[in-house]
Amino acid sequence: MQVGAFQPAKSVIRVSPFEGHTSYAPYTCTQCAEGWCMTACPVGAITINVAGAKDVLDDRCVGCKLCTIACPYGTVFYDPSTRKAFKCNLCGGDPACAHACPTAAIEYEDVPTVDWLHDFARERASHVLAVNGGRR
Amino acid sequence: MARRHLIIGGGTAGMNAMRTIREEEREASDLTLVSAEKPYSRMVLPYYLDRSIAESHVFTASAALLAQWKVKTHLGRRAAALDVKANVCTLDDGTKIEYDDCLVATGSAPVRAPVPGADGPNVHSFWTLDECRAVIASVTPGSRVVMIGAGFISFTILNSILALGAKLTIVELAPRILPRMVDEAGAHVIEDWLKAHGVTIRTNVKVTKIEDARGKKRVKFASGADVVCDSVIMATGIKTNLDWLKGAGVQIKQGIVVDDHLRSSVPNVYAAGDVAEGRDLVSGQPALHAIEPTAQEHGRVVGANMAGKDVAYKGSLIINIVEVCHLDAASFGAWDDAKAETVVGVKRDRSAYRKYLFTGDRLTGAIIIGRSGDVWTTNDVGMLKGLVQTGVPLGRFKDHLKSHPFDVKTAYIAAGTAGTLLPETVLGRPSKAPGETPVAV
Repeated sequence: MQVGAFQPAKSVIRVSPFEGHTSYAPYTCTQCAEGWCMTACPVGAITINVAGAKDVLDDRCVGCKLCTIACPYGTVFYDPSTRKAFKCNLCGGDPACAHACPTAAIEYEDVPTVDWLHDFARERASHVLAVNGGRR
Repeated sequence: MARRHLIIGGGTAGMNAMRTIREEEREASDLTLVSAEKPYSRMVLPYYLDRSIAESHVFTASAALLAQWKVKTHLGRRAAALDVKANVCTLDDGTKIEYDDCLVATGSAPVRAPVPGADGPNVHSFWTLDECRAVIASVTPGSRVVMIGAGFISFTILNSILALGAKLTIVELAPRILPRMVDEAGAHVIEDWLKAHGVTIRTNVKVTKIEDARGKKRVKFASGADVVCDSVIMATGIKTNLDWLKGAGVQIKQGIVVDDHLRSSVPNVYAAGDVAEGRDLVSGQPALHAIEPTAQEHGRVVGANMAGKDVAYKGSLIINIVEVCHLDAASFGAWDDAKAETVVGVKRDRSAYRKYLFTGDRLTGAIIIGRSGDVWTTNDVGMLKGLVQTGVPLGRFKDHLKSHPFDVKTAYIAAGTAGTLLPETVLGRPSKAPGETPVAV
């Protein structure tokens, strides 16, 4: 999913800072089995592409936003300038994020989806909780 | 095993049921559709209204697709009676259809406020495609439109009316707008936004009469000045299309009472969508959810069960979103639960509002309002749905969410929400893409 613009609001990978921005973790569409966005779409505008990714068909999407609230992962977005929904489509099987990452931290592999971020976030966020707990 | 399936209603629930029957079955069964209208999506009518899509875009099934799915159709016909002992449905033209099992998915119809002139010329409802066509013909650039009712339906077409170049006045009986979608504080944020965008809103007003006034309409109120306009749109609620089924022996309370397989009190009669009183995911109690996502999930669960699968449904989650003049408003689950523990977050300078409702350490309801382009609005809207849908225990992250209502992601990720969701599917298997429906032979 590339839009040809540098604009964080249009990124389909949202990066979470942890511990006061000392560590970061990217978060994007899991290409889940249910495809909540796909089943919710009233006009069949979300399909499965050759990479197995859920993909928005721009000429079918009317911009009703139902997919953005149906997706329980928060990884389907709406672009007010195009009036379409957009999401990670794995760039059709050759994800640009994997090419772009300067430290090769993103690799594209065909593996089962797991919530790898959970434990990391729980541990890293403890610090935030401690600080905030003290502040209140 | 049922060989002859009858689907009554060609809306979202009926279409999803038919598609799922064809996806699930090994051998092709007889599939018959009775639908008062050619199947289309009501969800997208606002985009046809403002001409951002062509009329052809609204249809969810072409004649060719229905033929490919081997569906016998009775379009333009309504079910008039159901004989649940003989397993026969009689249509409004006298046609009798025998079935082994059937789905009642007859949806809802708009209700107009009972005032003189409500059925006069240039007074419209906005629900069906025909009604959409009538509104298109009557709303012209520079014309004045009065919308009666400040509920969800009004708000879905608000942008379209403005985009057509009309001047809009919204009048509402209740003291505030969107009474069934957001709380009072949220309603004020939206009302202020709309007023700043040139929409006139009058709450707490009772319409008493709609008169013809030299080619225009004059709307009169119990108190306050009349409003003269070119057309009136009544969005004063909907009611289920179930009159035809009364006395048939199918238990009806608010809607058709269904079990976790969406079977009614008559085991081979299913119900789905607006007419089905099924389980609410958050409360666990029977509820009527007249929303698109419930119709879709109901339809698929019924389709799988009609095809001989054994699919139990966990329940449906109330989700609503509406965008007005680039302000998003969404709500999830039990957003109006007076017994819940609540926290509110406001960023007045950004017209941003959050309300979270907790039961114990689980999020059971949420309201989110914010500008469409704001990153955190688009980030958080789905995550809030995920938190309410899964009901993951938030543990110590509940306090974090309460003290930082605009930092949803930390709590969402750290509570393991995504991992809880990953194995979850409605039908117990991965969903198929639209258009991937095989037809067994």
